[in-house]
Amino acid sequence: MSDELNSIDESVRLIVMEARRPVAIDPEARRRLAEALRAEPAPTRSSRVLSWFVEPRPFALPPFTTAALAAGLVGIGVLTGIALNRDGRAPTEQPRAVAASSQLPDSVAPRAIKFVLVAPQAARVSVVGDFNGWDSAATPAKREADGTWTTYVPLRPGRHIYSFVVDGTHFVSDPSAPIAPDDGYGQKNSVVVVAGASS
Amino acid sequence: MKAHPGRLASALLLTLMLASGASAQEGRDPLMRLERTARYSVEVLMDSARLMGLPTRPIESKVLEGLSKNASPRLILAVARNVFRSLRDARAALGPKATLDELDAAASALRVGMTQSELGQLGRSQHGKLLTVPLVVLVDLISRGVPRDTASQTIFQLWQRGAADDDFLGLWRGVERDIVSGADPGAALLNRARQVPSREPPPVSPPRPE
Repeated sequence: MSDELNSIDESVRLIVMEARRPVAIDPEARRRLAEALRAEPAPTRSSRVLSWFVEPRPFALPPFTTAALAAGLVGIGVLTGIALNRDGRAPTEQPRAVAASSQLPDSVAPRAIKFVLVAPQAARVSVVGDFNGWDSAATPAKREADGTWTTYVPLRPGRHIYSFVVDGTHFVSDPSAPIAPDDGYGQKNSVVVVAGASS
Repeated sequence: MKAHPGRLASALLLTLMLASGASAQEGRDPLMRLERTARYSVEVLMDSARLMGLPTRPIESKVLEGLSKNASPRLILAVARNVFRSLRDARAALGPKATLDELDAAASALRVGMTQSELGQLGRSQHGKLLTVPLVVLVDLISRGVPRDTASQTIFQLWQRGAADDDFLGLWRGVERDIVSGADPGAALLNRARQVPSREPPPVSPPRPE
């Protein structure tokens, strides 16, 4: 075992000696190298700028800053995903071009439809329907001096279901529009058919 | 003033977290407000509708309406299933060429008691016109108390006589006024229907030579 260790030490010593031995360079080779370097064109300003971008360079950041930047990049990714509606779920509706017939083309522009409710006692009135996701905060109506509440909603040609919401809690159908039946929620809605789809 | 990298990074992190939170609130699926089990069932329902080529917008709209009206998840699911079934039956009655609005209106008509066979009869005599307005008026009349048979037969006769959308809407306004004035709904409809002018039906294309 001891002989084996000695032979390894000897091998290492020889390797070290060989590595430390100065390398003799041929003077002619040195001259050729210097000439080749002189023949190289001097770097231009644009190539210096380019190399600034492409050459690797070490830099150091504190761990907290690195974490913050990583979180920022994730946040940008999330925002972009949300903006593109690519959240991994299937879309909840087919593309309109498929769902709607050729008689209701996508190019038909929405029309501003006026909604009016006479409710002088109401403190606030809004319109909810299939056009705003039944969100009572989305389309508030404006009170006129005579107690009527009005608002305009841009609607695509076709049939839309809606209701007024009075004081945030009471659903009231439009007395000047056809009724849609109560489907189980206890209140009838109203229907508006925006011209264009059937003409 | 010397910028502190730690504070700068904290501010950046906080801003991005707030921005992503706010945006996620706006952009997330509106059905997320529905209780988890009911939402899963609604999503399965909508997937089925999609596979059958049915529109999913009416189902989603009914769910959102239920949420807006603070209905229980159980009721919302029951209503959504009913809408799905009526859309499927409406498609079966009207065929694949029916528009989304026609299907939706026809589904409403089925839910107030119109039969698939009556719907199919209307659909077969469309002559290129859309059924949306006649069906909207029909549903309204039944909802206001006009007997179902009277309403569907009257609308069908006017439809066959070539009545236009404006005729149906004019009929609806007249009947609605009469009912508000105290008239019997069925009698009001029959009376007003007599005043609708008969229009020339669209020309029937001659059969092609063999």
